[in-house]
Amino acid sequence: MDDGRIVVSALTKHYRGVTAVDDLSFTVEPGRVTGFLGPNGAGKTTTLRMLLNLVMPTAGTATIGGRRYLDLPEPDRVVGAVLEASSAHKGRTGRNHLRACCLTTGLPLTRADEVLDLVGLGPAADRKVKGYSLGMKQRLGIAAAMLGDPQVLILDEPANGLDPEGIRWMRQLLQGLATNGRTVLVSSHLLSEMQALADDVVIVAAGRLVRQGAVADVLASMGGDHRVRVSTPETEKLTAALAGAGATVTADGPGSLVISGVTAAAVGDTALAAGVPLHHLSAESPDLEDVFLDLTHAKAAIR
Amino acid sequence: MSRTTLMLRLVRAEFYKLRTTSTWWIFTLATLVSTTVMLIVDCVNANSLLKPFDQYVALEAHGHGGRPIPAEFLAHMRSEWELGHSAVTQATTIYTAGQLIGVLLACLLGIVLITSEFHQQTATTTFLLTPHRDRVVAGKLGTAVGMAFLSWLLSTIISVTTGAIFLHHLGYGTQLGNAGVLRAIALNLAAYAIWAVFGIGFGALIRSQLGATVSATVLYLIGATAAASVFELIYTYLIPKSWILAAQVVVPAVASTVMISPTKTFDQSPPQWVGAAILIGYGILAGVIGTQILRRRDIA
Ligand SMILES: Nc1ncnc2c1ncn2[C@@H]1O[C@H](COP(=O)(O)OP(=O)(O)O)[C@@H](O)[C@H]1O
Ligand SMILES: [Mg+2]
Repeated sequence: MDDGRIVVSALTKHYRGVTAVDDLSFTVEPGRVTGFLGPNGAGKTTTLRMLLNLVMPTAGTATIGGRRYLDLPEPDRVVGAVLEASSAHKGRTGRNHLRACCLTTGLPLTRADEVLDLVGLGPAADRKVKGYSLGMKQRLGIAAAMLGDPQVLILDEPANGLDPEGIRWMRQLLQGLATNGRTVLVSSHLLSEMQALADDVVIVAAGRLVRQGAVADVLASMGGDHRVRVSTPETEKLTAALAGAGATVTADGPGSLVISGVTAAAVGDTALAAGVPLHHLSAESPDLEDVFLDLTHAKAAIR
Repeated sequence: MSRTTLMLRLVRAEFYKLRTTSTWWIFTLATLVSTTVMLIVDCVNANSLLKPFDQYVALEAHGHGGRPIPAEFLAHMRSEWELGHSAVTQATTIYTAGQLIGVLLACLLGIVLITSEFHQQTATTTFLLTPHRDRVVAGKLGTAVGMAFLSWLLSTIISVTTGAIFLHHLGYGTQLGNAGVLRAIALNLAAYAIWAVFGIGFGALIRSQLGATVSATVLYLIGATAAASVFELIYTYLIPKSWILAAQVVVPAVASTVMISPTKTFDQSPPQWVGAAILIGYGILAGVIGTQILRRRDIA
């Protein structure tokens, strides 16, 4: 099997007046789900389309397993892509759409039925695509991408239009594919979605690379304060004790404090030592969505 | 895998795509209806043209209500009658009855094959599966020519069976042993195929489905008439040389008429092969330019 590594190097796309993608380089490894993250207009769709020879780059190259998409002898056996919710003729049934794809690439027609089952679209297979919901079109798109049993999967904002159940289904599907050693590249404008799905992230804004790495590392490097929230009848006594431990304390309503600069454990220990009763103690994760927005906003989100 | 296998696969897939949408039925129905209508018109005309001149006049001037026919009108009728009063000519016309609308339909089908990828937003799927876009165009070209063949076949079967019975009934025999008649039927196929090629090129050149279909239809239907007037004007006021009139064959619609009619369509009309060469030339030119544009087009 091909190694399925995606390499984007110095990719650039100018449209009249807009630089949609600006000297962008990153790599995507097999065996992992990689989130391609950025606000609307960041250049994600343009990048993915250049990778697939649909949009012609102004400069730079993109390869999959060492080859340009155009140079793959049987691209459908190497790469499956879901770019817009299915790109099927509205007047054709889902099954016939998939069969047309099979005929084009020389796959047996039975493959259409197999992928219909895989995405759970069997009951709607003989209805015309124009009657499909957005979620069903996404499933049809995923089905088409899976026809050639490809090593690499590329999906552009696949969660759009899926209900929570559909999102969970897709997450399991993609993570399962990555576990089998496949390369999975998924774009999104929501960090929270990627936190739940991806192993690695590539963050872009205004067509440029902002961060790339394992999700945990990137999140850690993005900073944001870990905070501890407590409730106590003796706020003043606790504030004084915590100040001695080097924490920053702010009042947050009657009997409630928000503490930063120390761990939750340290807060509990300090309270015990000071003989202050705690009615509530919780550690709050940083609001990474805010940090993400700050990080990318500086690059002019929507152009 | 060989190029031929690949092409056959793409053509097969394109045929399947056609059959699984309404385009297939619309195209078949349009072929049937236009052939039938034109066949009726041609048979009615043949019926009167094949009569002796006085009966022809009586039939044609039926609406004139017994008033005397003006002399110049009578002269016009005589020249019409002399051109058409031949079993071979009428057999040719009847056996190729579907052509007038049929070649336009073949051209429109070629256009739709290409432009529907953008109109129906299926281009992403198509070019993902076949990233070499010239292969996509070649596959569609094969499909358009194949469809043109089927359309010609359907139209010819209807025209020849009905027409042969009709002519035989009138007492002229079927004329199917006549080489000129058979050549006209074969050239008719060439016309269907060439217009299909032209449609593919035109569709690749002009992205908008509506724009391409409307302009091709207008070009086809009024192109010949408009060309005749324009070239007549040039001849009268600018260059009074007779080759100017012959030169109107450069207009696709005129080239098509010249190619398929065994007799002269206008006084200076060049031989049939000139019309064919010009039409094929346009088809190739449009196809090559269109494919080059298509190869660089962003599918976004
Ligand atoms: N076909 C196009 N013509 C002109 N500008 C475009 C085109 N496609 C995208 N853009 C511009 O390029 C930028 C990046 O767009 P896109 O790649 O769609 O971003 P994303 O997918 O991250 O939301 C945007 O500013 C968008 O307006
Ligand atoms: Mg996008």
